[in-house]
Amino acid sequence: MSAAIPVAALRELIAGWIGQGKLVAAPVQVGDRLLYQALASAQDAVFDARRRPANSIKEFFFPRHEPIFRYRIEGKEIALAEVAPQEREQIVIASKPCDAAALPILDHVFNWDFEDSFYTARRARTTVVSLACQAHDDACFCTSLGSGPEDESGSDAMLHDLGDGQFEVRAITEKGGALFPDRAGKSGDTPGPSCRMAGSPPNEQFDPARVARYLAANFESPPWKDLTLACLGCGVCAYTCPTCHCFDIVDEGNAAGGARVKNWDSCQFPLFTLHASGHNPRAVQPQRQRQRLFHKFLIYPRKFGTVLCTGCGNCERNCPVGLGVLKVLQAIDDEAKRLDEKEPLQA
Amino acid sequence: MTQRLRETARRLLQEGKVQVVIGYGPSKPGAAAPPVLITRPEDADKLEWNGRCFANLAVYLTRKEVKALGKAAVVVKGCDEKALVVLEKESQIDRAALSVIGMVCEGVGTPRAAKCASCQVRVPRFADEVIGEAAQPAAAAPGPNGLDRLMAKSPAERWAFWKTEFARCVKCYACRQVCPLCYCERCIADKNRPVVIDTSATPKGNFAWHITRAFHLAARCIGCGECTRACPAGIPLGLLNQALAQATEEDFGYRPGMDPQAEPVFGSWSPADKEDFIR
Repeated sequence: MSAAIPVAALRELIAGWIGQGKLVAAPVQVGDRLLYQALASAQDAVFDARRRPANSIKEFFFPRHEPIFRYRIEGKEIALAEVAPQEREQIVIASKPCDAAALPILDHVFNWDFEDSFYTARRARTTVVSLACQAHDDACFCTSLGSGPEDESGSDAMLHDLGDGQFEVRAITEKGGALFPDRAGKSGDTPGPSCRMAGSPPNEQFDPARVARYLAANFESPPWKDLTLACLGCGVCAYTCPTCHCFDIVDEGNAAGGARVKNWDSCQFPLFTLHASGHNPRAVQPQRQRQRLFHKFLIYPRKFGTVLCTGCGNCERNCPVGLGVLKVLQAIDDEAKRLDEKEPLQA
Repeated sequence: MTQRLRETARRLLQEGKVQVVIGYGPSKPGAAAPPVLITRPEDADKLEWNGRCFANLAVYLTRKEVKALGKAAVVVKGCDEKALVVLEKESQIDRAALSVIGMVCEGVGTPRAAKCASCQVRVPRFADEVIGEAAQPAAAAPGPNGLDRLMAKSPAERWAFWKTEFARCVKCYACRQVCPLCYCERCIADKNRPVVIDTSATPKGNFAWHITRAFHLAARCIGCGECTRACPAGIPLGLLNQALAQATEEDFGYRPGMDPQAEPVFGSWSPADKEDFIR
């Protein structure tokens, strides 16, 4: 059965989870930004179905910095010490559906030819409670990728804002339902909560299949340079993206020892592809932007059958020069449509 | 103003005086105006001028992809223009080969960005062409900024403040990439043979990076505030630069980018310098 839960009761639940020693993460207001953070207090959680945090929840599965083993150097001996994957239970609450939807997409690569036990341990120990989305802005494009404001993919439970500080919760997995004993409805219950979208969901703004066809046939083509010349080459798009997952492995320490660590990395940095010889196969920024889009919309789908993007729009919203996936793909889709009309491309 | 800007850009491209015009393009409602690089006279109509032209476009002048396009014209506000003064002093641009289109600016953002309240350079001073007329006079002196509030705290409180702020840094380097004066071919943060600054976004790695960034901009930062605007974690990075700018002004009477005749603090020497070691 499902009942309306007041926000105060949600906070009580959160306080209980924190009390049990769990890590609970939620959107938190930090200055003028909304950011997912580990909660120090249940009062800090922001339940706002109309705003998107500037970062993503991937940090709680794939942290920006993670030691994978430690080493100690004593004379000529080197002693290695394992770092165990995280044991602590985690709950991410009030996540955006477009953040949660990234998790099943990331599962592919972290369990591909090698299982990343750090990621899978965190994934197994985390319950994701999303908050159905009620507003979009000009950077949103989830519907262009077959997703939407109530997409349950990757979520264990979903909150629906009924207004007046009341929420309905629907269990999607057993683990999600267990967090709300006797209070959770089931996914697909009817009548559904009235979706109080402020305006309509975002329009479908490009066709990912047509884009993929264009990319496959147009590695060297003029639009790349024109569209991406303004890119300044920071890592904002990648680091605030729910699906970007590249990392670098470095040893950090001193003569006595240290740790081998995994740190976030981005294909937008020149160093990402710089060879020891000094040669850089991606010498200029437009080539790096092209790589990002190829990976997301051609390479990843070919390998794993899904695009590496949820349409959250964080790339454009956070970009200091207002670039992002949507703008470039719209332009590419227009170009692909134009070519299609002239001479249809073969799939 | 937008119309005159477009005409100027079109003319410069048509006459072959420049091969690229770096300006602002149309933005989505409420969003910052994105930079555009115009290379064809017929594209000059893509240029816009409005109160959301935040970016300091001088950053593009030192980028190799942009330099490869040929001679450039750049659209600047009075505040951005200070970066050109420093870049010229540091021999990074050939001012004679550059066309500067100066836009008279009444401030950017709604509400107005903090730096605009006490702006002393609403009318660009060194541009080849200035577009617009000032509606309000320039401020007589720089106004209060967030630095006063921060410096009123005890050192322990300031340390705690920066610890909390830097804890959110993910090392995306947006602060570096948007900065018109961070033009090093290879940044010290990218030196990995050996590593100079930990690449990890940990307290150690983050403090090392932000302190280094601030010091490399000491007596150079012109206070455009792009680092703060670009930070996805909302860290007020410009405060670090302001602290050093204040010290530079107090100790050397120097404000970067204000006076093209003034010798840069790190590029000059005077017997009147306070420290003895240099004599």
